[in-house]
Amino acid sequence: MTTLNGGSNTELDDKPEVYKLSRATRLFTVWRKLKRSKMAVTGFGIVVFMVLLALFAPIIAPYGQKEYMASYRPPTMEHLFGTDGRGRDMFSMIVYGSRISLYVGAAAVAIELLIGISFGMTSGYFGGKIDEIMMRMTDVIMTLPELMLLILAVALFQVTSVHIIVLIMGVIGWPFMARVVRSEFLSLRERTFVEAAKSMGASSWRIIVHHILPNALSTIIVLATMEIPWYIFYEASLTFLGFGDRASPSWGVLLEGGQYPLLGGYWWVITFPGLALFFISLGFNLFGDGLRDALDVKQIER
Amino acid sequence: MTIRTYIIRRILVIIPVFLLISLIIFMMIHLAPGDPTRVLIGTRGKVPQEYFEKRIKDLGLDQPIFVQYFLWLSSLLRGDLGVSFVRGGGATPVIQLIGERVPYTLELMVFAEIISVIVAVVLGVIAAVKHYSIIDALASLGALIGYSTPNFWLAIMLVLFFSVQLRLLPAGGTQSLGVTFSSPLQYIGDHLRHLILPVSVLVLVWTAYLLRMTRSSMLEVLGQDYITTARAKGLKERAVIYKHALRNALLPIITYEGYSVGYLFAGAAVIEYIFDWQGLGNFMVTYSVIRDYPSIMGLAMIIAIMVLLANLIADIAYAIADPRIRYD
Repeated sequence: MTTLNGGSNTELDDKPEVYKLSRATRLFTVWRKLKRSKMAVTGFGIVVFMVLLALFAPIIAPYGQKEYMASYRPPTMEHLFGTDGRGRDMFSMIVYGSRISLYVGAAAVAIELLIGISFGMTSGYFGGKIDEIMMRMTDVIMTLPELMLLILAVALFQVTSVHIIVLIMGVIGWPFMARVVRSEFLSLRERTFVEAAKSMGASSWRIIVHHILPNALSTIIVLATMEIPWYIFYEASLTFLGFGDRASPSWGVLLEGGQYPLLGGYWWVITFPGLALFFISLGFNLFGDGLRDALDVKQIER
Repeated sequence: MTIRTYIIRRILVIIPVFLLISLIIFMMIHLAPGDPTRVLIGTRGKVPQEYFEKRIKDLGLDQPIFVQYFLWLSSLLRGDLGVSFVRGGGATPVIQLIGERVPYTLELMVFAEIISVIVAVVLGVIAAVKHYSIIDALASLGALIGYSTPNFWLAIMLVLFFSVQLRLLPAGGTQSLGVTFSSPLQYIGDHLRHLILPVSVLVLVWTAYLLRMTRSSMLEVLGQDYITTARAKGLKERAVIYKHALRNALLPIITYEGYSVGYLFAGAAVIEYIFDWQGLGNFMVTYSVIRDYPSIMGLAMIIAIMVLLANLIADIAYAIADPRIRYD
């Protein structure tokens, strides 16, 4: 097989300029559509803003994470978002917290992509008995709600590290991605260009990676973008419930700290971390919606 | 394939899935740090020594792990989920602890579900029919804001506004404490007042998802050829929308509802916890925090069964509503 591939694949790869041009044109059309969509631009703007906030947190934050001042100061010019019960500047804490949320969203989705794509690819391309068994496996994991499994795992194993939480999220969260990738592969493998590649002697691996995967990419990208806010919410929910690293400036931890002072009327302690969560999620959702329209992907719901 | 064989086949599929879930939960508990014997019998509260020894025998904890699993599974199938010592006054069967909570969760979820389905379907249909109108734009914007809002934050903000600032509604619990009710009606009124805030949070968030789904599903159906045919036949627009479009647009929503029971439950858990609502979700959070293993294991299995049944019902409902599905 390999010797056969060597010959025919070079031909497949070095296709005439038209192929490359069409891909470039396609990218350009997507970019133009994205730019024209107000929603996508707003979403992208919010996401970029949050990423910059996270990257330059030490420069942007006026106070350090461990600087303790007078507690429960209402918002003033000195403390934009006031101070919390331990006298920490809420604005600075939220700026540092953006690092955790973005890290959680990106890393969990990366794990989900890694497991979900390889699993869905195998299942959808080979079909038959393999597919049947693999799909039953996703059934099993999807039966128990993600957030519940997450709470059980974190409580049972007394996890405090955010890295482990992310790992658990990715390991629990991949089946939906796997299913979407599988259904894309199921329909794409019947298409004529796959048949053409097969008749030229391309190996399964080659067909999967070079012919089917690029065509399934739009759906995968849209789904991954829409999944990010879910993971961010899960992490915030977990830390809000009292799990995870209590010393971190995670927005969930900040919100949990604001729950009791609420009764004393210290509204700013809970308002701002929540707004931050809302905006980051809004950003990814808007951008995801815009991407879906630009890439012409069907609505996916979970 | 007839609908009967479809249903039978669909039920048979559940069995291996159920067994695998039970195995996963069993393994999770066994892998958890600490002495699994203590873990399985209960690490919290006072466990009498003789009960401890008897339980080791009953559960076969002195036997190989496979035997333990089958013993646990068989007692599970007989409805014995073990006992918990968390509540004072000796052993309480876990099944009883869970049973006490079920009505509260059902009440919360059923109320929220009915309201959000009605609101979402009505708004979704209007938004789709009047595509690109102001109503459509507002509905889409509302949905976007709804599903970008963390539900637990919304819950605290509502408490801040309606309970702390306006002092209109209770901040939590299922009934007012230290109040004697003169009539059952008064009790029901008081209970319903406690229900308003948690239900509102769930409705706001769930409606957002459903609205988005109804709208896009409706838009897709309205673009189909048979809708044009129906219009060309001279049917009234009302009949086209409600008889031809909506019925088909609701199909994916049926499946979504059936398959999201687990997610809805887990999402509602955090809300139950915030409002101190005495339901299963609150039970899950509080018993996970104190690591009462028999309760957690039992609850996880009950939820798994619940979700499997809901999925089954959704699939059967779909097969009945859409005849094409049976020949898959």
